[in-house]
Amino acid sequence: MQPNVVSLVSIGRHPQSGRARRAEQDGRGVELGLKLAGEKLSVLHVGNPEEPVLRQYVGMGLPAMTVLKQDETADAVPALSDYLQQEKIDIVLTGVRSESGESSGMVPYLLAEKLGWPVVARVADIVSIKDGVAEVLLALPRGQRRSVTVKLPFIASVDNAAAPARQSAFGPGQRARMESVNTHGEVDQIRVNWQEAPAKPRPKRLKTVKAKTAADRFKAATAKPQGGSGKVMKNESAAEKAKAIFDLLIEENVIR
Amino acid sequence: MSDIIRRDPRREWIARNRLHPLHDSVANAVQGEVRGPSGLLRKNPHQVGSIGPNGLKRIDRLKGNAVAGVGNKRSAANQETVLPLHKVDNPDFYIVVVPDMIGGRLSGHDKDILGLAHTMTSTIEGTGAVVAVCFGESKEAHYDLAGVDRLIHLSASEYEGFAPEARLTALTHIEAQLAPKHWLFPDSIHGGSDLGSRLAARLGERPATQAWQVSSEKTVCRGAGGSLDITRQTPRILMLLEECGEAIDETRHEALAIEVDGISVSEPALQDKGLMDVDPSAIPLAEAEFILSAGNGIHNWDQFHKAATILGATEGASRVAVDDGFMPRFRQVGATGTWVTARVYLAVGISGAIQHMQGIGQCDKVVAINTDAGCDMVKRAALSVIGDSEEILAELMLLAQARKKGSQEEQSDAA
Amino acid sequence: MVIDWLPSILIVVLLALGVIGALRRISLWRAGQPEKVNLIAGLMAMPGRYLNDLHHVVERDKYMSRTHVATAGGFVLSMVLVIAVYVFHVEQKIVAWLLLGALVLMLCGAFFVFKRRLNPPSRLSKGPWMRLPKSLITFALTFIVLTLPVAGVLPEGFGGVLLTLILSVGVIIGLGELIFGMGWGGPMKHAFAGALHLAFHRRPERFGGGRSTGLKPAPLGDESHGVAKPSDFKWNQLLGFDACVQCGKCEAMCPAFAAGQPLNPKKLIQDMVVGLAGGTDAKYAGSPYPGKEVGHAKGGANNIITAGLIEADTLWSCTTCRACVEECPMMIEHVDAIVDMRRFLTMEKGDTPNKGSEVLENIIATDNPNGYAPGSRTNWAADQNLPVIKEKKQADVLFWVSDGAFDMRSQRILRSFVKLMKAANVDVAILGDEERDSGDVARRLGDDATFQSLAKRNLATLSQYSFKKIVTTDPHAYHCLRNEYADFDTEGALKGVEVLHHTTFLNQLVQAGALKLDTFKGGKVTYHDPCYLGRYNGEYEAPRDLLRSLGIEVAEMERSRFRSRCCGGGGGAPITDIPGERRIADMRMEDVTATGAELVAVGCQQCTAMLEGVVEPRPEVKDIAEILAGQLIEEVH
Ligand SMILES: Cc1cc2nc3c(=O)[nH]c(=O)nc-3n(C[C@H](O)[C@H](O)[C@H](O)COP(=O)(O)OP(=O)(O)OC[C@H]3O[C@@H](n4cnc5c(N)ncnc54)[C@H](O)[C@@H]3O)c2cc1C
Ligand code: SF4
Ligand code: SF4
Repeated sequence: MQPNVVSLVSIGRHPQSGRARRAEQDGRGVELGLKLAGEKLSVLHVGNPEEPVLRQYVGMGLPAMTVLKQDETADAVPALSDYLQQEKIDIVLTGVRSESGESSGMVPYLLAEKLGWPVVARVADIVSIKDGVAEVLLALPRGQRRSVTVKLPFIASVDNAAAPARQSAFGPGQRARMESVNTHGEVDQIRVNWQEAPAKPRPKRLKTVKAKTAADRFKAATAKPQGGSGKVMKNESAAEKAKAIFDLLIEENVIR
Repeated sequence: MSDIIRRDPRREWIARNRLHPLHDSVANAVQGEVRGPSGLLRKNPHQVGSIGPNGLKRIDRLKGNAVAGVGNKRSAANQETVLPLHKVDNPDFYIVVVPDMIGGRLSGHDKDILGLAHTMTSTIEGTGAVVAVCFGESKEAHYDLAGVDRLIHLSASEYEGFAPEARLTALTHIEAQLAPKHWLFPDSIHGGSDLGSRLAARLGERPATQAWQVSSEKTVCRGAGGSLDITRQTPRILMLLEECGEAIDETRHEALAIEVDGISVSEPALQDKGLMDVDPSAIPLAEAEFILSAGNGIHNWDQFHKAATILGATEGASRVAVDDGFMPRFRQVGATGTWVTARVYLAVGISGAIQHMQGIGQCDKVVAINTDAGCDMVKRAALSVIGDSEEILAELMLLAQARKKGSQEEQSDAA
Repeated sequence: MVIDWLPSILIVVLLALGVIGALRRISLWRAGQPEKVNLIAGLMAMPGRYLNDLHHVVERDKYMSRTHVATAGGFVLSMVLVIAVYVFHVEQKIVAWLLLGALVLMLCGAFFVFKRRLNPPSRLSKGPWMRLPKSLITFALTFIVLTLPVAGVLPEGFGGVLLTLILSVGVIIGLGELIFGMGWGGPMKHAFAGALHLAFHRRPERFGGGRSTGLKPAPLGDESHGVAKPSDFKWNQLLGFDACVQCGKCEAMCPAFAAGQPLNPKKLIQDMVVGLAGGTDAKYAGSPYPGKEVGHAKGGANNIITAGLIEADTLWSCTTCRACVEECPMMIEHVDAIVDMRRFLTMEKGDTPNKGSEVLENIIATDNPNGYAPGSRTNWAADQNLPVIKEKKQADVLFWVSDGAFDMRSQRILRSFVKLMKAANVDVAILGDEERDSGDVARRLGDDATFQSLAKRNLATLSQYSFKKIVTTDPHAYHCLRNEYADFDTEGALKGVEVLHHTTFLNQLVQAGALKLDTFKGGKVTYHDPCYLGRYNGEYEAPRDLLRSLGIEVAEMERSRFRSRCCGGGGGAPITDIPGERRIADMRMEDVTATGAELVAVGCQQCTAMLEGVVEPRPEVKDIAEILAGQLIEEVH
């Protein structure tokens, strides 16, 4: 049985240029969806159906996608949950966090709450679906994975550790159908009062020295700053050199 | 380092001489530049002076001249200091922190948030208590020093491991029992942001995520993929980035237990099947945190592979090593290979061609083993050792083996 | 008597069959897409093109050119006369003698063909091609014997029935190969298809010493993009494939083939022939794609090429260096075909290998292949005091910086060039952050949509300013601006603007005495011709002149100028990075080392990167601008 899968996609933002793009995690979500449902995958976006970036999602080999037409200032969740309630769906895939807007990562949770479905966060892969139960791999730091099973239907947010999105092809992307559905969005009232500004670089926390004695204080005051250019060991014995490397590995906590 | 304190008469003289052009820099040198969570440059009043050996704050009005008085080495540094106890008797409100407790201990991130919770408490009217909610087995011995006024420890087996649903049920109970003013979660991949989002969705609260400048009134959080700062009213639920506050270090706290009763956890929809056994050599290069990378300067390949296994490192390679057939293609690091993000990148016999360097741009610490002290990899590395790769790898393996043995013995001692 | 008539009848029958075959062949070509060609003018120009242009290429191999003139000339002449004598029964003795003369000429040629085939170099195809000289000789000998009585040397009816029968067999063999085979796909097909290919060539500008190297724009927005099936090629491209003589000159020059990557331009063209006619490559008797076995490829005019005929890796191995095109005596356009097929893979299949998709995505989102912040494009020039044209609105020279702006190594070249321009007081400006990638890589990777978008946006920017020249240090951008942007330049942004490579421009400055240069005292120097400067744009002299002006006598590599071997950096090849047995750059570095040079001068940042990627010890690599800047005598004011 092929499951009914919906991948939710948003308009991404390139971290360097700030330009709209296929969002990294949403792309992976579509990729995972294609793996599970093939061409029958539904791709869903809330917003402007004319947005050219959407072509990059369908360019991954989909004949069509659905756009719930809605103003940009409106909240996407009501429209989404209304729509998802109508269809018979097994799995909804989203990114962990969008690249534009609030980037709160709340969409999967809010949908899950509204639909009463379980939500699985940071999915690296959906390994199998058997008898209405899916085996899911969750991404943990450092390439570690946790295996979890969950009953259909559920919502999963797709992590960066999932298989990368395949290349988007220009031709199919241009030819795919955009099925636009009119929805009445509610303006996001809370957000209206927010102020937005380009992100300020966060100052790195300085190591403040809390000296216990005056001597410590003075030492801290006069110590040469660490860092700068790297340390080069030339004339020490091989054992000493190895020890220096080993100490660094321990200090960095990569040796356990 | 030597513990002998050496006097610097010139410095002392400058410190005494208020008219000396360098006086300020010497007198205030201890303080450094401190930025508060609000991003403003602040003089940290706590840093004026220091905590004396008896745990009391002492302001050194001699501006460093006192050094002169401490002529001989003291063992003061080794003395256990007893910090003043911060007591909250009848709290008017609670701020609840749900730490990640990686490995059963409070992480640095957790402690920052506890610190922030106290900063918030102090600016809200009434007396507040900071509550920590900990799930599963706890190895933490110092809740008191991290700023935990009240502790809710839920150690039942249903909270153990991966149990977001059970934990959420517990949190909703706590919500009903304590009606906390704020819920603070670490915005982390260790479960904090997941649990926080679940609670927010359940309670119908609009949380602030990726928050990094928080006061009881205003919150600045990152948006749009980290490219935007959104300033908003501080909501009830916050998920906080690292270094959002200063960890507590000058007070002790009661860490009184609060009991939460009557939580009934239903059968979870998500069934934990446990951690997968992931072999370091099977971790995709892009995700690996410690890479041992081989270049044209490796001549003993058996040894190299063995070293990677013993050190528990993921293997990488330069293009030459791949071209020559010693390493598979998917191990290539660089412009035409993988761009890696390892915390430690140990480059053995790699010269550091631009195309290779492109691939390690995001690595934290690069360590080079190379015979050529002038090569570009050495210029990039935080630590370089100049010498034959085979020899140094052999020594490294000895060290790693010795350490393994040591820790095994330790374990058997403890048993 | 029937027997006497036999040769004549055979000739007529074989001629007729040949014509039928030819018509069938033509119908195969017509399966291709329409392309407007001036048929009459093309046919009129054909003999001239054969005698000048094609011969010019063949002439590089004196032995072969003479052999071919004798054989082909003798054959064409004798065929006309054979028809005159044996079909129309022109009975003048003089004609018979003429025929004899032509046949002897042909026989001599055929003999030399035979000799070459005794021990053929590996680039030549075997199989039916091995029998060709024998067929040629049979033809010549048969008709000589047949004509002797007509010329009155031998008595009429000499040899009787037996000889007539033997001669008839000879006629069948000879004409079977030469006339029947021409129409039905034998080796002689090349003469028929080749002649028409010359007449209806897709790039007529190439004839008469011209140059036409810019890729043709892909139409966007249709049901499919690029070439998926042989029938998606233009009809005259299909005709071009059929003209291949399997001489393997292309194979011998192809850097990818030499590096053991799975590409052989000759086999590629032959596979195209298999595709257009339908069938398998089992009869192919030349070198295979390295590492791939011959005989498994199957194709048809309406079958997807990459599903069974050619593997995608073959297409992605090409560096678009044009060495094959330059070398091909039939003037076949390999690169056009390869890029056409890549267009399908990228724009329809989304299947650009390796880093390809990432690079294309970066270009789309940031206008540079590595995804750097577009706002940091001018960072390299922070200390260069270079005016930005947005503020000046006009300048004599617009310096097109190219994506080298983001790369530390290339920045050294850029700075050197700026230093030289400053020394010569050139009124120069840059586009600054308004510049975008030229689209070169996107286009060669088959993403013409992205190329066209970049071209249009770059042109829109350029059209706002006024300048006389565009100079660039990047031959790839140079090629795009000079040869490929014109197709999209509706506003005339580049009208009347001279696009120059920095070596050409610097040479002008040096010739005008605007730069004072010290003689170069280093060791031996050789020069590597970048493909996109040399073969694509014909600039071989300026870089050499510049080196000469420093007193450098260039120690030429065996493969230089139009035969220069690619560094491996073009066509997105380093991005798709198809594995081979060797690295192309390593082979080029061996060429350099063979001259004993300590320094190799180049005129391209990509070549610099590729050659410097060769493991040390190796000669030093420097752009000509860097060498010049090092020898610049700066005037102290
Ligand atoms: C387009 C392009 C793309 C490329 N992409 C990549 C890429 O993705 N990744 C990549 O790695 N390269 C890439 N390269 C190749 C790159 O330019 C270099 O050639 C390559 O990285 C060099 O590999 P290396 O450092 O292992 O070898 P070398 O340059 O030969 O360096 C070997 C080093 O080992 C040291 N050494 C020798 N013996 C010993 C010993 N006994 N003990 C210790 N040290 C020793 C030497 O001092 C030297 O520094 C690319 C090149 C090009 C042109
Ligand atoms: S363009 Fe160059 S690499 Fe491509 S087939 Fe021709 S010779 Fe080979
Ligand atoms: S394509 Fe041209 S060069 Fe190559 S074998 Fe055919 S005729 Fe010769």
